[in-house]
Amino acid sequence: MQIVSTRTVVGMEIHLELSTQSKNFTSAPCLAHPDRWDAPANTLVDPVTMALPGTLPVLNREAVELSMMVGIALGSDIPDFCKWDRKNYFYPDLPKGYQISQYDLPLCVGGSIEIETESGPRTIRIRRAHLEEDTGKLGHELPGGGKADGSLLDLNRAGTPLLEIVSEPDLQSAEEAVTFARELHALCVFLGVTGGVMQKGHMRFEPNVNVVMTLEDGSEVATPIAEVKNLNSFRAIKGAIEYESKRQVEQWKKDGVEMGPGRKATFGWDPEKMRTILQRSKEDAHDYRYFPEPDLVPLRVDQGWRDQVRSRLPELPQARRQRYTGIYGLPEKDAKALVADPNFCFFYEEAIENVSSEAAHATAKLLLNTAAKMANEHNTTVPELGVSPQQVAALVELRASGDIGSNAVETIFGLLCQEDTDAAQIAKREGLLQVRDEGAMDAWVAAAVAAHPQAAQDFAAGKDAAVGRLMGEVMKQSGGQADASAVREKLIATLRS
Amino acid sequence: MRSARDIAEHVNSGGSAVQVVEEALERIHADTSNAFREVFDQSALTSAAEIDRRIIAGESAGPLAGVPVAIKDNICTREGRTSCGSKMLEKYRSPFDATVVTRLQDAGAVVVGKVNCDEFAMGSSTETCHFGPVKNPADPSRVPGGSSGGSAAAVAAGLVPVALGSDTGGSIRQPAAFCGVTGFKPSYGQVSRWGLVAFASSLDQIGPFTTDTADAALVFGVLRGGDPNDGTCEPSPAKPCQIKPADLKGMRVGVPIQATTDGNAKSVSKMMAEVRDQMSKAGAEMVEVDLSLLDQGISTYYVIATAEASSNLARFDGIRYGHRAHAPGAGPDELMALSRSEGFGAEVRRRILLGTYVLSAGYYDAYYNRALKIRRMIRDEYLKAFATCDVLISPTTPSTAFELGGITDPVEMYLCDRYTVGANIAGIPGISIPFGEDEQSLPLGLQLLAAPFADEQLLNAAASIEALRDQAGIRGARNA
Repeated sequence: MQIVSTRTVVGMEIHLELSTQSKNFTSAPCLAHPDRWDAPANTLVDPVTMALPGTLPVLNREAVELSMMVGIALGSDIPDFCKWDRKNYFYPDLPKGYQISQYDLPLCVGGSIEIETESGPRTIRIRRAHLEEDTGKLGHELPGGGKADGSLLDLNRAGTPLLEIVSEPDLQSAEEAVTFARELHALCVFLGVTGGVMQKGHMRFEPNVNVVMTLEDGSEVATPIAEVKNLNSFRAIKGAIEYESKRQVEQWKKDGVEMGPGRKATFGWDPEKMRTILQRSKEDAHDYRYFPEPDLVPLRVDQGWRDQVRSRLPELPQARRQRYTGIYGLPEKDAKALVADPNFCFFYEEAIENVSSEAAHATAKLLLNTAAKMANEHNTTVPELGVSPQQVAALVELRASGDIGSNAVETIFGLLCQEDTDAAQIAKREGLLQVRDEGAMDAWVAAAVAAHPQAAQDFAAGKDAAVGRLMGEVMKQSGGQADASAVREKLIATLRS
Repeated sequence: MRSARDIAEHVNSGGSAVQVVEEALERIHADTSNAFREVFDQSALTSAAEIDRRIIAGESAGPLAGVPVAIKDNICTREGRTSCGSKMLEKYRSPFDATVVTRLQDAGAVVVGKVNCDEFAMGSSTETCHFGPVKNPADPSRVPGGSSGGSAAAVAAGLVPVALGSDTGGSIRQPAAFCGVTGFKPSYGQVSRWGLVAFASSLDQIGPFTTDTADAALVFGVLRGGDPNDGTCEPSPAKPCQIKPADLKGMRVGVPIQATTDGNAKSVSKMMAEVRDQMSKAGAEMVEVDLSLLDQGISTYYVIATAEASSNLARFDGIRYGHRAHAPGAGPDELMALSRSEGFGAEVRRRILLGTYVLSAGYYDAYYNRALKIRRMIRDEYLKAFATCDVLISPTTPSTAFELGGITDPVEMYLCDRYTVGANIAGIPGISIPFGEDEQSLPLGLQLLAAPFADEQLLNAAASIEALRDQAGIRGARNA
């Protein structure tokens, strides 16, 4: 039977590494904390991390609070009671032979995220978020390169607090999934609960994908669900879902197998070949033998604790956008662009500390135009350009004072990216300061009128376009040092009064 | 041999700790029961010398100054090995001391060595120990009980006045009864488990073997108290435990019907009759209690304990430490499976398989979940009993010590724990005190149980019965 139309259905599981000081169940330092990102292998290890005999887990309160912050920001319920369970399986990177997780009573229940789609804003429901711990890492390459004789185990990551967020299957395309992922990523970075560096695996996405096909006779058929594991780039999320959307339809045409119990399969993602690879079909799926963790008492959360955590929440992306459009008068598009990348946004916020809303507006324009263009040219991001937020603030101020012209801004910004001085010094050194000497201005204007009498006559008669030639002449006369707006005013005063 | 409190008093008033420890080491080296796995001659003498130095310098040396103590092989010590009676950990050395070991040492006790136990505390006879069975000092042809058989034998043979054991289903009380010494399992959450190699985390509790109840209280006072490393340990401050023998007059003593009617050896029934008789005469109010779930205890216990054990023992995979199979070219799954098959003995493998089975999809509700429900019912039944009585008494075991190799059927072996598992399932304190002997002069043990965290009340009651026993000329501790 012919397929009339297809619809992709995606539910997302997200593993978020929390950047706590110590690990989830022991005081050993946590790899996800910015101070430890580059820790040499097996230096963040203690008896608990090693799962030595006789060790016991002790819950990290900070991990719970950061998880609660995410839950509160998502609009989840934080129930009064939740508990810990063991998920049992053998793997060399899992020291205890089980992972401490939450099975039936998670820390956060429900919630949602709003995303923009082609057909307008949509709410993506969150099913739950539970706190668990990360595994170690198995490798085969020696530090500094070269193949190891056997396997290598690095337990730095083992025990890192991991918040697993599970969405409902509300996403309808690869693009929507990416929008959702970006939105969640930005939210978590704004919350300050994670470094959010995708390449470091701080946030790993696992889309559950299938396709609902409408057939000629109007009936609907769904393909078996594929879970794609461990995607750590937005590009991979898009690629994997797009690939699965096509593959599943082709597979169904071949074998006619539909969605059903025991038919979910697990896939990996090959970023080079841009295709998914079957890892495990249900036949050999794990039986994790979950049972309540007897080494940890259940967690009780009261209203006082919830309120205290809520009071720690920083300003969330939506509130920031409203501030940018409302108070700084930025267009919606600019506000969104500022919030899209949290580190860019933090840079902006630092640059506009203690400035007027006009300056905040001007700073946004500078960053979104001049700075973004330069970052793009250098294949980097604005915070990585080498210029500090304070240097940017001084540049905006210099321009606002009228000491430099608009043409000088880009030049000075480029130099600020390379040196530690401030904008005023560069402007002086490079001769970019505008001259506002009345006498000089009168002389230049007189010279310009003399050089272009026709243009002067036209401008005096009300032809605005004629001003270009006159201003060009003044600039030539002044060697670029005249303030364009002052020149314009002078011309009006001289010729039109 | 002197009691722990006598030794501490002797040392605190100028007696030589070194001499006390030297004598203990001498006895240990002359011993033939195989109680000791490892003896710490050098470190013990160094510690004793330090105690002597402190006392000479006028510093305080603690309530257990100079008391030689043996530690069960499943409790971590920086000194020596922590093998858990297993080939898996034959060469394993712990980089840290268990909280209980640190507390003993801070109180002036001298750790003289590690004592044998059933492999990973799984057994009731110390015969599953990879380093050979331990002999019962009362009769070397018999088992000392288990799993803390080495601890019981070490105290019963007079080698040390104090040994630590762990009790998951009776592993302190049963060997104490078999060997004729006092064995105390505190309430769950009274003593830190940090450093105790877990068998079944929700049931395990560390406790002392001693000559009498007063020593048990002395050691308990040192061990108990909150520990930031163990979240299941009640965060109460550490404080000494002062024993005050309770007044038997008016004490409400519960006797479970199920503990007197069926299945006990004749000598055990006789002991119970004797105890009841004497206690009534002393003015105690004897209350018949119906513990209708007593016989659900063993099956409930073996589901919960094995389920937890199957998970707790998963870390022994030969990857980071412990026995690793020689298997060149093997993949990780094969290497782990081989290492575990070689490193664990038959009883441990049996329990891991059983525990894995009861947690498996499809069987979980029928076994594990059901066991959890019955566990709550059993606990409720005990709590109900303690609403009408201060303590419960029963035999510690249905019979006295059996011959080495005498029980080969695992289920028959499990039934040794009939009277003891309830305390672990309910989390309540229990103690076994020696109370006479059978016709073959083998020790008999009387068990007392009390409500959760009524540990001091339990010890006080036990002290009174001990006094009664001594007055009646009934044989008490073996080493006394």
